[in-house]
Amino acid sequence: MAHPPLRVGLFVTCLVDLMRPRIGFAALKLLKGAGCEVVVPEGQTCCGQPAYNSGDRRAAQALARKMVREFESCEHVVVPSGSCSGMIRAHYPELLAEFPEERAALDRVVARTRELTDFLVNVAGLTTVPGQFAGTVTYHDSCSGLREMGVKSQPRALLAGVRGLTLKEMATPEYCCGFGGTFAVKYGEISARIADRKCDDVAATQADAVVLGDLGCMLNIEGRILRRGESTRVYHVAEVLAGVEDD
Amino acid sequence: MTEAAQEAFSGTGGPGTARPQGGTFSGRAHDKLHDAKVQRAMRNFNLAAARSRAMAELPELEDIRTAAAAIRDTALADLDVWLERFETEATRRGVKVHWAETHADVNRIVAAIAREAGVRKVIKSKSMVSEESHLNAALEAEGLEVVETDLGEYIIQLAGETPSHIIAPAIHKTREDVADLFHQHHGTPRKTGIPELTMEARAVLRGHFLSGDMGISGGNFLVAETGSVVLVTNEGNGRMVSTMPRVHVAITGIEKVIPTLEDVACVLRVLTRSATGQSISNYVTLATGPKGAGDADGPEEMHVVLVDAGRSTVLGSDMREALRCIRCGACMNHCPVYQNIGGHAYGWVYPGPIGSVLTPSYIGLENAVDLPNAATLCNQCGVVCPVRIPLPDLMRKLREKQVEAGLRPRWERAGLRVWSWFAQRPALYALATRLAARVGRLLGGKRRAIGRLPGGGWTGERDFPAPQGRTFRELYARRPR
Amino acid sequence: MSARDNILRRVREARQAAAAPTAEEARRVDERIRARTVGPRPAVQGDLVERFLSQCERMSSTVARVACLEDVPGSVSAFLSGKGLPLQAAAWPAVAALPWDAAGMHVQARPARGDDLVGITGVHLAIAETGTLMLLSGPDTHPVTSLLPETHVAIVPADRIEPAMEEAWARTRRETGALPRAVNFVSGPSRTADIEGQLQIGAHGPFRVHVVVVG
Repeated sequence: MAHPPLRVGLFVTCLVDLMRPRIGFAALKLLKGAGCEVVVPEGQTCCGQPAYNSGDRRAAQALARKMVREFESCEHVVVPSGSCSGMIRAHYPELLAEFPEERAALDRVVARTRELTDFLVNVAGLTTVPGQFAGTVTYHDSCSGLREMGVKSQPRALLAGVRGLTLKEMATPEYCCGFGGTFAVKYGEISARIADRKCDDVAATQADAVVLGDLGCMLNIEGRILRRGESTRVYHVAEVLAGVEDD
Repeated sequence: MTEAAQEAFSGTGGPGTARPQGGTFSGRAHDKLHDAKVQRAMRNFNLAAARSRAMAELPELEDIRTAAAAIRDTALADLDVWLERFETEATRRGVKVHWAETHADVNRIVAAIAREAGVRKVIKSKSMVSEESHLNAALEAEGLEVVETDLGEYIIQLAGETPSHIIAPAIHKTREDVADLFHQHHGTPRKTGIPELTMEARAVLRGHFLSGDMGISGGNFLVAETGSVVLVTNEGNGRMVSTMPRVHVAITGIEKVIPTLEDVACVLRVLTRSATGQSISNYVTLATGPKGAGDADGPEEMHVVLVDAGRSTVLGSDMREALRCIRCGACMNHCPVYQNIGGHAYGWVYPGPIGSVLTPSYIGLENAVDLPNAATLCNQCGVVCPVRIPLPDLMRKLREKQVEAGLRPRWERAGLRVWSWFAQRPALYALATRLAARVGRLLGGKRRAIGRLPGGGWTGERDFPAPQGRTFRELYARRPR
Repeated sequence: MSARDNILRRVREARQAAAAPTAEEARRVDERIRARTVGPRPAVQGDLVERFLSQCERMSSTVARVACLEDVPGSVSAFLSGKGLPLQAAAWPAVAALPWDAAGMHVQARPARGDDLVGITGVHLAIAETGTLMLLSGPDTHPVTSLLPETHVAIVPADRIEPAMEEAWARTRRETGALPRAVNFVSGPSRTADIEGQLQIGAHGPFRVHVVVVG
C-alpha cells in the first residue's frame, strides 16, 4: 500500500466488554480489513456517560479524564457506539472545562474520536465488507449517533455492501427506542412502552433483523422483542458487516 | 421552599394554588399508560408531522432559528431595560401596566381591575400564565363568571380539568368525551360529529363574546418599540376578547418582550410552523392601547400584567436559556415520553421537555424531582426547538443539582458510587465484570434472556438479554497472535 | 418598594448588572430598535399578486381578481350568490361608497353586528409571503366587520401587496406613523383542531374569507 496504515485506538465501551464482546471483535476485524493498525488500550473501562447523565459530575469527570489519558497518544479513536462517541465529542469539552492543564490532550482525543461506521466510510474509505446476510434487515438510528455524531448514511452505505442483505426502512427509524440509560430502569414502564412503538415499527417491515449501532438500544429493543415473543433478531451493525452475528 | 412553591403545593386547587393533581410522577404516568382513552387520543395526536412538512418548505430554517434565538437572547440580556421601554411606550398609548411578583399578585391585580370596572362576566383567551396562578378560581371566588373561549380550554373548563398541552389543551379528550360534556352542560341533544360539536361551541361562546365585560388574554410577545401585545390564535378568540368587552387585560411573563416589529416577523415564522405547521396562524393581533377618539369598537381600558413569579430567578441561573421559550409546544410534540403519557402526568402547568426544565425552576427542585430524570435525552426536543433551547443539557444540569442537593434516592447514589469506584480501577473492574458476565450468562439460561431482575424496573415489561459469558477483555487477552 | 421596583431589581441582580440602568444600556437598546434588524427569511419570488393569491388559497381563503374598483360589486355579488348567501352586508364607509346597488347589493356603512352574515372591508396592506390581510383599526376601519360576520370579503388593491411582514411594517411606519389600537393580520378563515386534532373551519371568526384583488 502506498499510504502508511491508519493507527487506531479502539474504545470497546463498557457495554460491549460486558455484554457482547463479539461486537468488539467484529469492529477489530472491520478496522483491520480497512488496513488499520489497531491498539486496544488495556485499562479502558467506561466513558463516564452513565454518571454524567445521572448528575454525578465528579464521577463522570474522573472517568472522562481516565479515558483521555488512555487514548491521548492514538491517531484515531474509534468507538462502536454512537452514544459513547457522542459523549466524548459532544460533552467532554464542557465536562472537563475546569481542567485547563489537560486541555491539549482533551482537544486531541475529542477531535480524533469517530463512531465506527463513520470512521470506516469517511476516514478509512472502506468499500467492501466481509459480511453476508441472507435476508431483510431494517436499521434503527440511535439518538446520539444520529443527532450528536451525524451517523445516518454511513451504516446504510456499508450495509449495502453486505452480500444477500436487503435493507427495508421502518416508518420512523429516527424515533427514540426509549432506552435513555438509567431512564430504562427508573421509568421502566414508560421506557418499555416507547420500546413497544419501536417494535411495532420494526414488525411492520417484516424484516428478519433490526440492525443498529448502540448497545443500549440493542438491549432495550431485543428485551422488548423477546418479551413480545417475536423472533426478529437484533444485531449491532458491526456484527452484520463483519459476518460474525453468532457465537 | 419558595413562596411560589408553597402556593403551588399547599392547597387542592383553590385560588393562588397551582395544581389539583396529587400522587407521584410515576403513579400518574402509570395511570395514563393504562387509560385506553388517553392512549387512543395520544396515538391520534400528530403535530410533529405537520411541523416537519412545513419546515421542509423553509430552506432558511436553521438561520431563522439562530436569529430567533438571538432575538430572545438580546431581550433577556437587558431584560429590565427592555421592560421599562415597553412600559413607557404602552403607557404612552393609554395602557395601564401592572407588575406581579407572585402568582397571588396576579390574581389580586386582575380581581381589583374587575372590581373597579364593575365587571360581572370575564371571557378568556388562552393564557398559560393564568393557569400558573389558578386565576379562574380566584375570579370565581370574587363572584365573577369566567368563560374560557379557546375551544380546547372551554372543553376542559367544562370537565373541571387542566390543560394537557400548551397549545392543544384538550388533546387527551375524545369526541365522545366532548359529546357528553356539551350534552350535559348545554342541555342540547347529544351529538358526536366534530363539525357539529364545533358549531355548537361557536354558538354558545358567541353569546359570551357579545356579553362579556372583561376579556383576558395571554401575550405571545411584548414589543418594546411600540408597547404592543402580540396575540396569535387560529380560532379568533384572541381578537374577540381584545375587541368586544369594555376591558382587556393581557397577562404575560416578563420574559416575553422582544425589541421591534421586525423581530415579530422573524419569530412568527418559526413559532407557527413549529406549533401547528402553518406558515402563519390565522390571526395575529398587535394590541396597542384602548380605543381611540372616534373608534366605534375596541375596549375602553387596556391593562397589561407583567408576571415574574420565578422568572427573574431563572434569569440568574444556568437555566436562563429556558426563558427563550416561545411556547410553541414542538418539544412535547416530539417527545417520546410525552407522546406516551400525555401532559397531565407531568404534574404542573407546562408538560414535556420544557416543563421538565421550567417546573423545577419555578416551584423548586425538591418539588419536581422526577421531571428532569423522566427523559431519554434523545434530543429530539433540542433539534426542533425554534429558539435552540438546549433542553437535554438543561435537564442534565438539573440532575446535577439534584445530586448536589442530596435529592436522589440512596440506592441510586450508592449504585453509582460503587460502579464508578470499580470503573476507575481497571484490574478490579476486570474481575467484577468477569464475574457479572458469567452470572448473567447462567441466569439467562437457554433463552439467553433474564426475565426478572431486582427492582423490576427493566424487566416489568421487557426481558434483559443475557451477556455472552466472557468479557471482551478476557477474550482479547487470549486471542491468537 | 413597589412590585415593579422589586422585579426590576431582581432582574438586574440576575443579570449581575449595576443597581441602576446605565446610559450604555439605554444606548444599546435605542440602537437595537433604530437598526430595525431584518432577519434571514425566505425569498418571495415572482409576481407578488400571483404569490399572494396562491398563498391566500393555501390558507383556505377564496380569491377573485378584477381590473378596477367599479368591477368589485359585480364580482362580490356573483361570489355571494354562488354560495347562496344574502346580498347584503355591513362595510367600511370607504368600501360602502362603491356602486353596490347596481350589482343588486344592499351595503350599509357601519360596523358589523353579531347578526350580520357578510362584512366587507378594505385592507391597509396585504402580504404575499403568507396570503395575509393587514387591517388597521380606526374610526372608519372597524375591526368587528372582519370578525363577527360568517363571511368576510376583503378588497385588496394590487399596489397594497407587499412581499413580507417586514416590508409591511416599513411602509406602515412611512405612511401611518404610530400603530393604531389594533393591527390585525388575517390569513384565511378561523379554524380549530381542538377536538381530536381534526381541522375544522369556522371556530369563532368568519367561516369564509373572500379576497378580491383589484388591478
